Amino acid sequence: MSKVEKTHNKMLNATQGLKNIMGRHFLAIEQAYRDGKPTAWATSGSPVEMLYAMDVQPMLPENSATVSAAQKFSQKFIEIAESQGFSYDLCSYFKTNIGAVESNAGMIEGGTRKPTFMLSTDVICDTHVNWFQVQAERMNVPHFTIDVPHVVSNTNNRQLNYFKKYISEQLYELVDFMEEVTGHEYNEEKARKVSENSWNLSMVWQDIYELRKNVPCPISTRDTFGGLFPLFCMPGLKAPIKLYKRMYKEAKERVDNGIGALEKEEFRLMFEGIPFWYNLKYFSKLEKYGAIIVYEPYTYAFSKYMNPNVTKEMVLNKPIEAMSELMMSFWYVYDLETRIKKFAETVKDWKIDGVLLHENMSCRPNSCGLYDLKKHLMEDYDIPCLVINADMNDPRKLNEVQVSNQIESFIEILRQRKKK
Amino acid sequence: MKKIGIFDSGVDTPEEIILAAGFTPYRLFGDPEIEPDKANEHIPPTHCLWTRNLLELAIKGLNSDIVGIITTHGCDRTNREFDIWIECVNVDFMYFLNSPRKLDSAALKFFIDDLNELIIQLEEHFRIKITKELLRESIKKMNIIRKLLREISKYRKQMILSGSEFHEIVKKVQISNKDDAIALLKVKQEELRERQPFSKKNYKKILLTGSDLDDTEFIRFIESLGFQVIIDDLGVGTKYFWDNVDETGDPIEKIAKYHINKPIHSTKFPSYKRFEVLSRLATDYKVDGVINIAQKFCEPVLYDHPYLKKKFKELEIPYLFVEVTYNRESYKQLSTRFSAFAEII
Repeated sequence: MSKVEKTHNKMLNATQGLKNIMGRHFLAIEQAYRDGKPTAWATSGSPVEMLYAMDVQPMLPENSATVSAAQKFSQKFIEIAESQGFSYDLCSYFKTNIGAVESNAGMIEGGTRKPTFMLSTDVICDTHVNWFQVQAERMNVPHFTIDVPHVVSNTNNRQLNYFKKYISEQLYELVDFMEEVTGHEYNEEKARKVSENSWNLSMVWQDIYELRKNVPCPISTRDTFGGLFPLFCMPGLKAPIKLYKRMYKEAKERVDNGIGALEKEEFRLMFEGIPFWYNLKYFSKLEKYGAIIVYEPYTYAFSKYMNPNVTKEMVLNKPIEAMSELMMSFWYVYDLETRIKKFAETVKDWKIDGVLLHENMSCRPNSCGLYDLKKHLMEDYDIPCLVINADMNDPRKLNEVQVSNQIESFIEILRQRKKK
Repeated sequence: MKKIGIFDSGVDTPEEIILAAGFTPYRLFGDPEIEPDKANEHIPPTHCLWTRNLLELAIKGLNSDIVGIITTHGCDRTNREFDIWIECVNVDFMYFLNSPRKLDSAALKFFIDDLNELIIQLEEHFRIKITKELLRESIKKMNIIRKLLREISKYRKQMILSGSEFHEIVKKVQISNKDDAIALLKVKQEELRERQPFSKKNYKKILLTGSDLDDTEFIRFIESLGFQVIIDDLGVGTKYFWDNVDETGDPIEKIAKYHINKPIHSTKFPSYKRFEVLSRLATDYKVDGVINIAQKFCEPVLYDHPYLKKKFKELEIPYLFVEVTYNRESYKQLSTRFSAFAEII
């Protein structure tokens, strides 16, 4: 028992294995270059599974940008991009990538090598498409983009049908594109295997999230912010499934023993948005108030199989159709009405006391609608919310003192509510 | 006549469908003399000021004849803010038109589907029938307007018509009853035939591009610093009348094709294709320079800028990039940059 208790305010032992898993990912990239295997840059939200199914090694520059931030290189890279004419107001992931490539940064600094081709989609933002357009032109590599129609609050089922048809058609075109660029053929059996691994990976991640419903919560953002990356980079591989299962097992032990990630859990929070990758320790500071983040839509979103219309059978047997459906129903891009409803449900199910909303200067799609979300959660559901301003990768845009003061006042409000 | 408001950062909304439905298409423009106080309660201050301005006006109350709004997919702003419009703008009919980002055959098919859905929803909501015949008539009417505007636009190159006056005309057309617009354009055309070039002064001839600009005062401001906008690729400009819609065959297909094939905005893929049109215009019109304007926080234009800068440098065509805040007070601060550019070229 004492062994378990020592885990307070620390990540799970299993999460330590993340380094090895990510190390494997980076090694696989190196190996691909050594072997002359095709590689591709992919934006988050794009069907990375299809790359694995076509034996193409994926690289996710967003993931690399967070590595730069964690290693304290992002500001330097961002300033390089700005010196080339890219505005202060543009996405800090993008600018980090521009600076990293320009500096020939190694993978450990968040560098990303020239790929065989690039794959983007606008499902999350315009930036993804613009970003890869800029880099594809500079690197002189082919670029395929998937245009995903935007689902809004009053989109009807008839529309969803032809939206899906449009996405499917593009995914089939993507297969043709990859066959032409790489010379590899689409293999249905391999696609099925990759889809199965992807499904299993996501399901374990969702199981881990289920455990977070427990009071006290067994897992903090120490595990989830980093733990997210296999979902980005390695959906379709077996190794991360094992890691997630170990994380689940350890967390379950904590739950069974009534042990939380925090020694004394007083306030359960939700964090909407992308974390400040250059200052992850900031989130641990919440612990001094007895507060723990128990749910992040961002890290949950990438366990993509949440649409009840998409069954495992569909994923295995009709992976392209399943992917088309999933690309329209991604947590991170829910329309405002669905977003409000999902937040309210989540707050109830995960027993959340308050919601922190990150108004991220680099992610305007995500911060758009945040004020109305806050208004509805507060007025319609009596859920305390706090909007904080910062940036995911640009440390210049975080005023730590100001945000800390805001959070301190917010915690005080939560404390007063608990007393009532 | 009742109107359908258009919230569109490009000009991809098919006015023909609105006309065939029996309404006047009414493009929504901002007012750069107001502060978006109410809109700021919904949209963060680091987001496009122009769209916040439009929302401000809509919250305060739209023209009472407006019975519906079509928001057309452009950038992330139009996408995400549509739901906020549903929340706080008092109009019953709201449609989000997913004008595709791509320009290929799959995109064309999808756009046709979405235009047909727009028709279904207009018919159901207003209990009307939009027939192919009505659509064909509307296409003919819009083609007359496009042709007239193309002819009138040429007077800019001859320094008979100022860029600001032309901008004002296009704006007027985009909010007017189209029969009135045709009459107005014919009168203007007659007048211009008689008009003499307005000045011997050595104006710098400019190609204007970038974010869509709806404030004519801004064009006047540029003119006051020694420029003349003789050509542009803007929505309140040539993109609105670049070509005609084919009047034969299926009208919806032809409308969709027209929009897919016209010069693109930075929001399309690949947006670098814009340079093909821009370089052709710059060369054909023998401009002295290109001015690329980005509304503050206009991400698509901000992404394109370094590429355009590089390409115009290769062509040895002077190029100026300026970020503008949608607020008339702020224009004056840009005088030095524009004046310096005028001197250089």
